[in-house]
Amino acid sequence: MANYEPKIVGFLCNWCTYAGADLAGTSRMQYPPNMRPIRVMCSGAVDSVYVLRALLEGADGVFIGGCHPGDCHYVSGNYKARRRMVLFSSVMQSLGLESDRVWLRWISAAEGRKFADTITEMTENLRKKGPSAFKDKWEV
Amino acid sequence: MKGTLKVDAKNPEAAIRGLFAKWLKESRLTAVLTPAYSAAGTATMALVSNPEKLAEAAPLMPAMGVNSASIVAEIAREVSPNAKVGLFLRPCELRAVVELMKLKQVVPDSLVLIGVDCPGTYKAAGFRDVRGKDADFDNKHALEQAGYADNVNFRMGCQLCEYPKPLVFDLNVGFIGMDADKELWLEAATDKGKALLEGVELKAQDEPEKRKKALEGLSAGRKAKTAARIEELDKAMLGPDKLVAYFADCLNCHNCMKVCPVCYCRECFFDSDTFQRDIGEHVRVSLRKGATRMPSETLLFHMTRMNHMMASCVQCGICEDSCPVTIGLATLFKKVSQNAQKEFDYVSGRSLDEPLPLATFRESEFLKVGEE
Repeated sequence: MANYEPKIVGFLCNWCTYAGADLAGTSRMQYPPNMRPIRVMCSGAVDSVYVLRALLEGADGVFIGGCHPGDCHYVSGNYKARRRMVLFSSVMQSLGLESDRVWLRWISAAEGRKFADTITEMTENLRKKGPSAFKDKWEV
Repeated sequence: MKGTLKVDAKNPEAAIRGLFAKWLKESRLTAVLTPAYSAAGTATMALVSNPEKLAEAAPLMPAMGVNSASIVAEIAREVSPNAKVGLFLRPCELRAVVELMKLKQVVPDSLVLIGVDCPGTYKAAGFRDVRGKDADFDNKHALEQAGYADNVNFRMGCQLCEYPKPLVFDLNVGFIGMDADKELWLEAATDKGKALLEGVELKAQDEPEKRKKALEGLSAGRKAKTAARIEELDKAMLGPDKLVAYFADCLNCHNCMKVCPVCYCRECFFDSDTFQRDIGEHVRVSLRKGATRMPSETLLFHMTRMNHMMASCVQCGICEDSCPVTIGLATLFKKVSQNAQKEFDYVSGRSLDEPLPLATFRESEFLKVGEE
């Protein structure tokens, strides 16, 4: 896997993390281009099916970005995302699958730096981990 | 209100039928949902309203074809002012009914939950042959309590079940740990249950120690068996390679979802247009990996179902019974759901007051999730 570059599918909440990514961009902060951002209205709107489909189709990682707890535009969406993440990790571990390929992070609209750093860290982390086992598995 | 009910002629099933008859005749219930034998001798469920039709009712029938919570969801979507229906159901069915009430799929007002002990059941399909011509099979099964714990002919869900006694009920009919040829254990937990017991001749007493011990022993044996089964399962299922192989035979029929008592969506997301792909989309997916399994996205279906339903899964194992290619779903879902529910200190169907894990949250919990 000499040419391995991690592919990350990112689900960014419209009100915080997407704006944070925007700030990182307009501030000309450098970060790896490995993440494909998808804007969603709320981290609480990210159903597990989207995360699973990305992973089973061969994404090396999935990033979910939401507002800090207490700051949700819809009051409690991120708290629900947090519970869903706990359930998701539990299911993955019960099946013997890596749950640490899915990252949930709170990044506000003001935290362009944190966004750039987090994506850099995740990309580096996945580079070390190597490609997902589902990448070449056509029989899923 | 609790105590023992006298059983005549070593026939506990007739004693329960007697209760049904009394409740129907006195219009305390309009109908009762109970296991019943068809004329051909097959095991089914029946909603009985005429006391004269009770001859076919078989409240102690040790066979299960559907988790009857699915039936309850069909018949109790809204309040019916004209009906009071008694649900004579097994522990896993009542636990699923509780989950459906919390999911707002079952309105409890017209219902009375009448539970019954369940030491395990056979699959309804083929039960006619197990029972043979023995008209007294149900009573014998209720009386011969030694083989409950390790009956390998029970449905797999039953072999792993640690809840032989219902957890939530208005009234429960118990026979495990009783001399059921002589007496049954009746226990009302609510006003609805007490109302049914009015005028029923009970010998008031506390729950017999022998019964408590029998229930605990059965539960402990099942837990040990579950642990051993999960160890076996892990050898065959853990990790991406084995997991794909475990589900390799899946036909994408979605039976497991259709029979699931807690899979409550009227239309499953996976049956929706989202998954109606045209040829171009299949080819696009194929191009990415060089090939793609057809029928497609079966593992996605199962893993998503686990994420959607594990918080409410009652581990009845009816999914495994309905699988045409015999994928071992009962043990798998037992493991996954137990682990998932543990995270939230939740047990499906344990209480009507505990909120559903994914429908609630606390601000000061899981503080590490979402932080580096």
